[in-house]
This record gives sequence, structure tokens and C-alpha cells, in this order.
Amino acid sequence: MKKKIVSLLLVGVLTMSAFAGCGKKEAAKDDAATDATDESGANAMYVSDDENTLTAAAWDANFNIPALKAAEKAFQKENPDFKLELIEQPDSKAIENAVTTAAQSGNYENLPDIVLFQDHYFQQYVTNYPDAWQDASDADVDWSDFGEEKLSFSTIDGKHYGFPVDNGTVIFAYRTDILEQCGYTMDDVTGITWDKFIEIGEKVYNETGKYLLSMDGDGNDLPYMMLQAEGVSQFKDGKANIADNDTMKQIIEVIEEMQQKNVLLLNNDWSGYTNDIQKDAVAGVMNGNWIIPTIKQVEENSGKWEITSMPTLSGEEGYASNGGSSLYITANSKKADLAKKFLAYTFGGGDGAVDTYDAALRDGGVITTCISAGKSDVYQEGVEYFNGQAIYAKIVEMGSHVKVVEQSDFHYTAREKVAAAITNIHNGQSVDEALAQAQADLEFAMED
Amino acid sequence: MSKTKKGMNIQAKQQRSGWIFLAPASIMIAVFSFYPMVQAFITSFTTGTGVNTKVADPIYYNYMRMFADRTFLRSVGNTFLYLAIEVPIMLVLAILLAQLLNNRDLKFRGLFRTMVFLPCATSLVSYALIFKSLFALDGLINEIFVNLGILENNYNFLGNTGSARAVIIIALIWRWTGYNMVFYLAGLQNIEYSVYEAAKIDGANGWKTFWKITVPLLMPTIVMTVIMSINGTLQLFDESMNLTMGGPAFSTITMSHYIYNNAFGLGVGKFGYASAMSFFIFVLVAILSAISMKVGDNRD
Repeated sequence: MKKKIVSLLLVGVLTMSAFAGCGKKEAAKDDAATDATDESGANAMYVSDDENTLTAAAWDANFNIPALKAAEKAFQKENPDFKLELIEQPDSKAIENAVTTAAQSGNYENLPDIVLFQDHYFQQYVTNYPDAWQDASDADVDWSDFGEEKLSFSTIDGKHYGFPVDNGTVIFAYRTDILEQCGYTMDDVTGITWDKFIEIGEKVYNETGKYLLSMDGDGNDLPYMMLQAEGVSQFKDGKANIADNDTMKQIIEVIEEMQQKNVLLLNNDWSGYTNDIQKDAVAGVMNGNWIIPTIKQVEENSGKWEITSMPTLSGEEGYASNGGSSLYITANSKKADLAKKFLAYTFGGGDGAVDTYDAALRDGGVITTCISAGKSDVYQEGVEYFNGQAIYAKIVEMGSHVKVVEQSDFHYTAREKVAAAITNIHNGQSVDEALAQAQADLEFAMED
Repeated sequence: MSKTKKGMNIQAKQQRSGWIFLAPASIMIAVFSFYPMVQAFITSFTTGTGVNTKVADPIYYNYMRMFADRTFLRSVGNTFLYLAIEVPIMLVLAILLAQLLNNRDLKFRGLFRTMVFLPCATSLVSYALIFKSLFALDGLINEIFVNLGILENNYNFLGNTGSARAVIIIALIWRWTGYNMVFYLAGLQNIEYSVYEAAKIDGANGWKTFWKITVPLLMPTIVMTVIMSINGTLQLFDESMNLTMGGPAFSTITMSHYIYNNAFGLGVGKFGYASAMSFFIFVLVAILSAISMKVGDNRD
């Protein structure tokens, strides 16, 4: 008898756990705030049954999420019933993987109405999975009101798929107090050659023990940004352009020289990189302006930073753009009209754009590429953290100089191969050999 | 005929209930494991991405391509390096620990066993992240070594090929030794204590007892752990992904990580090529397991 009771109990527990597994998703649908997560730590994506509710998946609680919340608030002014449920993801990769999985299986049910998507990945995802997206060309948006370089990512064959969110214009932020200590001013680091930069960097390291520049070694944004500032791409006419690219060669040599002279600190990964910034190990930060919230997290350093343009090989002021993302409507959305209306009204430069972008700027530091919205008063204000400099106006101005360079579906593959070349050169391989290998590897990866 | 049910003999009844018990698990395995395998095999004969997927030309194209792929060959080399170094060290350690903890006179045996087994209960991702922060440029290990004067400056363990590989191997040993030890412990407990007593009376020392009694009687368990370890190491993914991201310069990337990169990692979406490489691993596992089964089989 006892045995029977025990086995009954066991069966009961097993059945319970089986059903508990099924119930998870239902619970997530009822309440967006539940922490139902899948293995990767990402929140489960879904669409809402309510006709006034849209769902959107996005990442970065310090940056993109506040921007989306600002848009929700702006749109609610005219549509008080409207709700935007945010499904926060740990990183952009979680969304890319969700779209890949959905598209590969032909089942889009697990996608939200709107996703935030990295610009550099989007073209490839339209080429591979055209059915995953909804064309938004007929939305009420004046597309000419956006920066050309930014829009080039989300426009494919003349069709507009995306609503630009942020602006990836590269800033070079310096610690003015450290520069001063070494006898330099912001003017001394603006419009300089990389050689001059190395000279300054060596002095800074010798006197303060801080690197003038740092970067993560595995993602390697550095060569891409430096190339774009020269107006050159890793691709030419759809083909890999690494080994026979003189500019690339010079830049790679500069990077190696910077490493040897303790001007550049290459950390192993992203979290190491942001740690370097926040632990005061560096005197300069160069990246897309979305790095600003990371810099600003150290309150003691308020007033010590200022921003300027990048050095170049020739000594002209350099401008580039790195990263950035846009919002897209997925095939799973049955409320595409509402989504278009919402996005056009807010991020698309409609009546709610100034409210959206002003709040997005204040709460998250998201800077628009929408030209008319960038003229609001908030953009002209000085920022205390950056020594009272009107950095947003400066960034919008710098963004207008960014050159459009050739993009490719294999953008990140190219970065990965170039990053490997940089490591190999640092370990003693010759520049020509390492770049030839990167070229061969990239060409191989680009084959079918 | 209306009395068929009653007419069933005991054997038939047992057989029927046996099938009923087996059915749910079998159906689930078929649907969730075998069906995807077949699909993956079909996919492995395609090239291109997304809607542009087409049948490969020639049909075995992906299977040829991987042998010309420098990064893939590198990942094969890395994986075998881990296999060759990590598995022997881990299994020897596991068997020694099991032997120690099987001692009847040892106090707090349960506690020690739990402690050795505990790493196994940690999630793969979180333990990889912990090792990452331990060996970071400003991590605990660097701090200790610099303060003890062993290192002059902080050493970038994960940024240099040799040390990055070593860290992965150390992490693997830490994570999996206890797991294998449990199998050996179970195996040891099946060996009659009287066998050891008899050996003692015959004058065998500890070393001899270990080689002449413990190892032969444990052979089935050893073969099983070897196969499981080979299988696990060839499919190594989390450590490469989370500890080093395959870097520096692909020198620690494993086969599974490279497969993931081709399917999802860089948004490239080459599912055909990725599936083909998966089947290559499958064949490798099959061959290596067959060899270890043959070697471990001491029936004449």
C-alpha cells in the first residue's frame, strides 16, 4: 500500500512538472513583467491580443528602452488607449537569433509586432528572409528628413522597412584633466594625424599610466571606424578588399604601433572594454555615440570629459559611424497599420517626434538622425558631464560629414577576420601575410 | 473471440504493458530527436541562405568544402587538443578521487563526495563566466600571482593562445571530474570487499591491488566514461563561446562553436554548411567510440 502511494505521488509530481512547462508561455502572455525566460536568458517574445497594444523587443535598458518608452508616452497623448509592451532582451543577438529561428522554421508566431534590429545585419536578413518583414514605405513619413547614411541601411530596393532610432556617429571623448596634466588641450587632439596621436598617447601613458584609447579585441570596431573616416570600406564592388587595400594596411600598422607603444589597450571582450572605461584605465574613448551612457555611469568624472572628431592618416578631422539600430515591423504583426502609425508619429518625424526624441535624449542619450527633430532646443543645451559642451549639436553636426561607404552582408565576418589579423600581427606575423590570410578567409566565407 | 482479452496469457499481457510504457518516450525521441536528425541530414546537402537555399552542386559540396576551410580545420585541431589533454587528466583524477573517497575509514565521506561533485551542478554558462572573471586581466588569479611575486605584471590569460587554451582545459577539468568520479564510485561499490581482503592476505600491495583488481573490474565503467568524455569534448561549445569567444584569432574555437557561428553567430545563416559539419562530428564520435569500445572489450 505504501509503495502505491509513493508511486502515485511520483506520477503526480511528474505530470505536474510537465504541465508547468507548458504553462510558462501562457503566463508570459498575460503579464509582460513576468520573468519567463528561455535558456539564453532572453524574455519570451509574443504579440498581444489587445487591439491597442503593440509589443516590441529591444535591448539595452540604459539606451534604447527609454527611447521606446518615450515614444509610447508621446503617442499616448493622442491615443490614450495605446500601450507598448516592451520585451527586454539581453543583447541584439537574442533578437537576431529569434528572427533566424522563426524564419528558418517558417513559423513567425513567436515574434513581437516590432523588433529593434542592428543596422549592419538588416540587409542580410532581408536577402535571406524577405517574408519576415513588412514593407513600411506607405507609412506617413517624410523619408528625406533622415540622414542619408543612416537610411541606406533600412532601405532595400527602394523599399523602406525600418524606422531609424539612433545615430551611430563616432565621437572621440577625451579626459581633459589628464590631457591638461600632460600639457595638451582639446585643440591639440582635434584634426591630428594618427602619428601625432601616438606621440601624445605615449606621453600620456608615461606620465599617468593611462591608455589614450581602448577597444574590445574580439568585436573590433576600430579598423572599421578608422577606415570609414578615410572613406574606405573593407569591401569593393561586392568583393573583399583587405589585402590589396593600402589604407587598410596603413591603419593596421597604426593599430600595431599603438599597441606596442602603450597607446592602445585591446581588451579581450566587451565587458572588459567597458570596465576599462569605467575604472579610469583610459584617458580617451572612441566609438559610436551610444557609448556615452557607459562613460556617464562614473559620476565622479563629471565635467572632465569633452568630445571631438577622430584623427586620420592625413590629419583632417575624421568622421565615421558605428553601430546603431532601427525599428522594424515583423511578419507576425496583425496590427501593422497601428504599428506604422505609431512609428511614423514618433520615430518617423511625425507630430510626436520632438517629444519622443527629446525624452529619448534626456533619459537614454539616444541621438536622432531625424533632421527636423534634431533642431529642438534640447539639442542645443550644454551637457554638464561634458564640461558644458553642447555635445548633441556637435554630434548631429559631425554626423552630417560621415561618408557613405560600401556595406556588405558579410560586415561582421570581415570584422572578425581583420580582428584575427590584428592579433596575429601582434604575435609576430608580418602585416602582408596576416592581411592576405584575412582576405583569403573572408573570400572563403563569402562563397556559397 | 469475444473473450480475447481474458484469453491473453500473462506473457502477452506483460508485453503489451511493456509497449505502453515504452511508447511515450519512444514517440518523443522520434519526433524531437530522430526527425530533426533526418531533416538536418537533408539540409546538409543544400547551400545558400534563407530563401536562396538550393540543392548543392555537386550534392556533397558542403562535405568537401569543410576540408578546405582553414578556420574549420583549426577548430578541429583545437578540439582534439582539448580531447588529448583534458580527458586523460580528468579521468585519472576522477579514478584517484573515487578510490580515496571509497575508503571505509574516511571521515566525512559524504561531505567530500558532495564537494567534489558540486561543480557539476553549476550551469555551463555561469561557470564559464566565473572562470572568465577569475582569469580576467584584473581578475583574482592575476591579483594573487602579482602579490605573491610570481608574475610581475597582470598577465592577459584569455588574450594569449597558450594560456587561453590552458584556462579552458582547467575549467573543463574542474567542471567534469566530479561527474566522472560518481560513476567510478558506483563501480567501486559493486566490487566485493572480500576480493580486496583476499588480495591483502595474498600479500598484494595497494598499487598491485589497484592495477590487478580495481582497474579490470572497473573496465566497463571506464569505457563508458571515456566514450561520454569523447562525445562531450567533441561537442564542446559553452566554454569556447563564453570564456574566450573562440579568440584570440580563432585559436581556442571549438567545432561546435564554429558551426554555431555559421548558422547563427554572425547572422550568416549557412544552415546547410553548418549541418554538414555537424554530421562530420557525428562520424568522428562514432569512430572514436567504436575504437574505445574495441580497446576496452577484454572478452576474448
